[in-house]
Amino acid sequence: MSTAQHHEDEALGKAYDSRLMRRLLKYVRPYKWIVVAATALLIAGAFLQISLTFLTQIGIDTYITKGKEQGFGLIALAFLGVAILRLTFSYGENLLTALLGQKVQHDIRMQIFRKMQSLPLSYYDKNPVGRMLTRVTNDVNVLNELFSAGVVTIIGDLVMLLLIVCALLYYSWQLALVTFIVLPLLIIATALFRKKVRETYRDIRTKLARLNAFMQEHLTGITLVQLFRQEKRTHDRFNDINQSLRDSNFRSVYYYAIFFPAAEIIGALSIGLLLYYGGGQIYAGHLTFGELVAFIHLVERFYGPIRDLAEKYNVLQSAMASSERVFELLDTPSEKAQIIETVARHEKFSGKIELEHVWFAYNGDNWVLRDVSFTVEPGQKVAIVGATGAGKSSLISLLYRFYDYQKGLIKLDGVDLKSLSTEKIRSHFALVLQDVYLFSGDLASNVRLRRSDISDAAVSNALERVGFDRFLLNMPGGISTIVKERGATLSTGQKQLLSFARALAFNPDILILDEATSSVDSETETMIQKALDTLLEKRTAIVIAHRLSTIEKADKIVVLHHGQVREIGTHSELLEKKGIYHTLYLMQYRKQAPARTVSESIAP
Amino acid sequence: MTTGEKSKGRFGTITKYLRKYRLYIILGAASVICTNALMLVTPYITKLVFDLLEKRAPTGEILGYVAIAFSLAVVAGVFRFMMRRTIIWMSRHIEYELRRELFDHLLALSPSFYHDNRTGDIMTRATSDIEAVRMMIGPGIMHIANTAISSVIAISFMVYLSPKLTLYAVAPLILFPIAVNRLGNKVHKAYVKIQESFSSLTAFAQENLAGVRVVRAYRQEEAESSAFDAMSRHYWSLNLEMARVQAVFIPTLGFLASLLTLVVFYFGGRDVLAGNITLGTMVAFMAYLAMLFWPLFALGWVVSLYQRGMASLERINSILHTTPLIQNNGDSPHEGRMKGDIQVRNLRFAYNERPILDGISVHIKPGQTVGLVGPTGSGKTTLISLLTRLYPVPRGTIFIDSVDINDWSLGSLRSQIGVAPQEPFLFSDTIAANIRFGKGMGGDEDIREVASVAALSKDVDSFPRGYDTIVGERGITLSGGQKQRAAIARAVLTDPAILILDDATSSVDTETEHEISERIKHVLAGRTAIVISHRISSVKDADMILYLEEGRIVESGSHDDLVALGGRYADLHRSQLLELELEKL
Repeated sequence: MSTAQHHEDEALGKAYDSRLMRRLLKYVRPYKWIVVAATALLIAGAFLQISLTFLTQIGIDTYITKGKEQGFGLIALAFLGVAILRLTFSYGENLLTALLGQKVQHDIRMQIFRKMQSLPLSYYDKNPVGRMLTRVTNDVNVLNELFSAGVVTIIGDLVMLLLIVCALLYYSWQLALVTFIVLPLLIIATALFRKKVRETYRDIRTKLARLNAFMQEHLTGITLVQLFRQEKRTHDRFNDINQSLRDSNFRSVYYYAIFFPAAEIIGALSIGLLLYYGGGQIYAGHLTFGELVAFIHLVERFYGPIRDLAEKYNVLQSAMASSERVFELLDTPSEKAQIIETVARHEKFSGKIELEHVWFAYNGDNWVLRDVSFTVEPGQKVAIVGATGAGKSSLISLLYRFYDYQKGLIKLDGVDLKSLSTEKIRSHFALVLQDVYLFSGDLASNVRLRRSDISDAAVSNALERVGFDRFLLNMPGGISTIVKERGATLSTGQKQLLSFARALAFNPDILILDEATSSVDSETETMIQKALDTLLEKRTAIVIAHRLSTIEKADKIVVLHHGQVREIGTHSELLEKKGIYHTLYLMQYRKQAPARTVSESIAP
Repeated sequence: MTTGEKSKGRFGTITKYLRKYRLYIILGAASVICTNALMLVTPYITKLVFDLLEKRAPTGEILGYVAIAFSLAVVAGVFRFMMRRTIIWMSRHIEYELRRELFDHLLALSPSFYHDNRTGDIMTRATSDIEAVRMMIGPGIMHIANTAISSVIAISFMVYLSPKLTLYAVAPLILFPIAVNRLGNKVHKAYVKIQESFSSLTAFAQENLAGVRVVRAYRQEEAESSAFDAMSRHYWSLNLEMARVQAVFIPTLGFLASLLTLVVFYFGGRDVLAGNITLGTMVAFMAYLAMLFWPLFALGWVVSLYQRGMASLERINSILHTTPLIQNNGDSPHEGRMKGDIQVRNLRFAYNERPILDGISVHIKPGQTVGLVGPTGSGKTTLISLLTRLYPVPRGTIFIDSVDINDWSLGSLRSQIGVAPQEPFLFSDTIAANIRFGKGMGGDEDIREVASVAALSKDVDSFPRGYDTIVGERGITLSGGQKQRAAIARAVLTDPAILILDDATSSVDTETEHEISERIKHVLAGRTAIVISHRISSVKDADMILYLEEGRIVESGSHDDLVALGGRYADLHRSQLLELELEKL
C-alpha cells in the first residue's frame, strides 16, 4: 500500500454500476478473442475437472468393486491424460487472463498519462500531484485486478458450480436433494459473513486512514510537538486511534474465526448426511460405491467457487470506485480541445509580439492583469519589472497559453494567439523559469530533454556557450553525469546555467526568461551574466528582470504595477521620469549591483 | 533462515512481545494440535463407514458413526476458532504494540533524523512494514504450525492404513515444498523486479506532473508519452514474465496432486482387487492425501511471508536503533523557573559540514526584547533553533540563567521558551485545540485573550463555529496570516519566560501587524523576547537589534543607532520606506 493511498478517501460505493461497467468493457473489446479463448479454456478445464471424478467413479464401480483387473490400467491412463490436458488448459487460461489484464492496464494507463499531458494548467493548480499520481498508479492497478482476476474467473466459477450441480443430479437426484438441503445454510453463512466482513473492512479502512493521517501530520509537525513538549499527549491521542483500530481488527479476526469453522462444520454435516443416505441408497441398489465416492468429491468442490465469488465482490467494488475516479479525469476537457487552429503555419517567424488591452484573471473578476498593452519588435529585448504580485509571471503564462486571457488581444507576427495551436506557439519560444526544474537522468538529457535531434555535440556546445564546461572538468561522467533528485548535487548557479543551456539548445525565435531572485556569489553572478548575454544574442526576448545588468541592456522596459502597465521606456528615460521605476530601482536594483558603490548610483 | 545467528538479533524487537503473549502461543499451538487431530479422524470414520457398507451393516450403526464424525467436526471447529482467536489475535496485539513503540520512538527522534528521512519512507515503515511483520507472526506462525501438525498426523494415519501406499504417495510429496519454494523464490524475484519497475514508473509520472510547465513549454508531451509508454510496456512484460511462472505454478501443483491421487487410485485399486486393503481404506487414504496438499502448498507461501517479514523487521529496527541525538544530560538536569537571561559565547555551528553560525556572541538580559534581522540564510532561524536545542549545541556556547543549555532538562527548557515559527504548522483540529496545543489545557477565556493579543479574535468570530472551527484539510483553510496569528496565540498561551517570534508576521498585513505589536507589548513585559523579522517596523522598538550576515553579527544597537550608522540596516530601512511609497502610487 503506498502512502498516496492514505489520503484517498476509501469511499466504497456500489459494487456494480452498469454505466461504468459498460465503459470499462470497451477497453476489453480490442482483446475480445483473448477473452473468448480464455473463457473456452476455462470451461473446458471445468469439464475436465469433473471428468476426473467420473473416471474415479468408473474405476471403482466397473473394476475395483467388481474385482475386474483387466482394463483398470486403461482407466488410470485416461486419468493421467485428462490431468495433463487440464494442466495445459489451465496454464493457457492463466496466461491469457494475465495478458488481458496487462494489455488493458497498459491501455488505460497510457490513456490517463496522455490525458494528463493535455490537461490545462488550471487543472494542475486545483489537483495536487499526489492525487493525480494515484490515478496512473493505484487506480490502474485495481482495474487490472478486475480484468485479470475478475471478468473471466467469475464466468469460470459460475460454470463450475453449474457443472457440479448437473453431475450431482445425474448421479442421483435424491442424494443431490439431500446435499441441497445443506446448501442454503452455507449460502446464509457466507452472506452473513460477507456482510459483517464488509462492515468491519470499511471500519478498519476508516480507522487506518485516520491513524495514518494522524501519524503523517504529527511527523510533519514533529518539531512543534517537541518544542511544546507534547510528546506525552500526542502519544495518548495516537494510542486512542491505534487502540480503536486494534479493536476493529479484533472484530474482523472474530468473524473469520467463526466463519471458517462454521463452513467446515456445514461441510461435515453434508458429508455425514451423504454417507447416511448414500448408504441406504447403496443397500437399495440405487447407488454404487463409486458414485458415493464421486458424490463426496463433488460436494467438497462445491465450496471453493462459492467462497471465490464472495471475494470477487470486493474486487468489483473497488474497481467501480477506481473507474469512477479515472473516468472523471478522462472526461475533463483538455487544453487542446479549446483550440481551433485557423491559420496555416507560416515558415519563418519574425518575433513580433503585440499585446492589446489584455485582461486576465485566474478566477472570477480578480483581475491580475488589467488593460495591458505593449509591443515587442523583432530582435528587441524587453524587460518587465514590477514589485511582487504585479502580474509579471501571469503575463508570461499568457504568452505560452498556459492560461487564456479573458479580454483583449495578443498577436504573434500579427496573428491572433488564440487562432494558433499551443504546439505552434510553443515551438517559437523557449522558457527559462525562476525555479529550475531538473529531471532525473544525466546532464545531457536535462539539456536536450527528449529531443533526439539534439546531438551530444550540440549539448556540449550549448553547455560550453553558457560556461558550464568548466564544471564538466570536475565531473568524471562528463555530460553523462547523473543528476540526482531535482539536481540536489548541483549548486544554484549550476542549475541556472543548465537551464540556460537547455534554452540555447532548443534555439528558439523568442526567449522568455524569468530571472531567479536567489542571491549567488559574485563569481557565479559574473558567469550567469555572461551566459545571459550569449542567450539573448540576436534573439527577441522578454525578461522578467531582477538584474541591473539585464535591465540596463534592455531595449525597452515595461513597468507593471498592480496588473497595469504604468510606465514604458528605456532605463535612462524611466529613471528621469522619477516615477514607479525610479522607486523600484532604488529599492531592488541599486543594491544588487555589488560592483558599484552606493554613492555612484543615482540618489533621490 | 540461512542466517540463524543474525536473525536472532534482528528478532530482538519482537521477542519481548512474543514472550509477553506466550500464553496465546501455547493455547494456539494446543488448538492447532486438537483441530488437526480431530479433523483427521473424519476420513478414518469414512473408511469405517465404507467397510460397514461393504459388510451391509444395519443403517443404525452407520448413523452412529456419522453422528460421531459430525460431533468431532463440531469440536474441531471450536478448536479451529480458538486457533485464530489466539494466534491471529496475538498478532494484532503485537502489531498494535509495535506501532506504539515505533511512534513513541519517532516522537523522541531529533529534527536531523527528519531531515535525513522522508516522511513518506517513515510512514511506509509504520504501515506496510508493520503489516508484513504481523503477517509473519500471525498467519505465518499459524500456518506453519498447521502444516507441521497436520502432516505428522495425516502421515501417521496413512502409514497405519497402508505403509506401501504411503511410500508411493508420500515420497513424491517431499518434492512439493521444494517445488513451491523454488517457484516461490522465482515469483518473489520477479515480484521485486516488478516493484522496482513500478516505482520507477511512479517516479517518472511524478516528475512529469511536477515539471508540467517545462514539459509544456518545451513541447515534450509526445516524447514524454512515448517514454512512459516504453516504461509501461517494460512493466507489462515483467508482469507477464511473473504471470508465466505463476501460470505454471498453481496448475502444476494441481497436476501433481492429481498425479498422486492417481498413484493411490491405481496401486490402491489393485490392492483392493487383490484383497490386501478394503475400499474404505483406499477412500480414506485418498482423503488424507487431499488433506496434505493444502498445507504443503501453503508452506511455500509461509516461507515468503517469513522472508518479507524479516526484511520489514530490519527496516523497522533501523528506526528503533537510531538513538535520539538530543537527550537530557546526566540524571539530574537543571530544572526550575527561568529568568530569561541568555548568553551566547562565540557560538559556531555547522550543519552537514556547511558552516551556518560563525562566532556569535551576545548577552540578552532578562526582560529585554531583541530584534534579529538579516538576509535569508544568514543564520537567524538556526540561532533560535539552538536556543531550544533542536540541534546539538556545543558545550560552553549558550547559557541560560548562567547554566549551560546542555545542562537544562529538555522539558524545563522547552516548556519555558515559547516559539511562533516561521512556517506555522497547524493540526487539522479545532482552532481552540490548536491554540491550546502547548498547554494541553486552557479555559475559553484564556484562549480568547491570547487570540486577541494575536489579533485573531475578529477573524475567528466571523467563522460560523468560532473557536470550534476545524482547520486544515477537513475544514476551513486559514490564510497564511491567520495561521501565523494562531501560532503566535499558541506560543503566548504557554506563558513562556522567553518568547521567540520567528518572522511570525511575514504574511500578516502591515495594519494587523501594527495591531499585534501594540497588543503584545503588555505580554512582553517581564519576559525576554527575540523577534526575527524582515520588516523594520516589527523590530524598531526593540531594546537591541542584531543584523546577521553569513552567520555573523555585523551590526548591533538600537534602531536609531543603526540608522545613524548608515550601514546595512539603514539600507534596509530606506528601501522599506520606498516600498511604502510605492504602495501609494
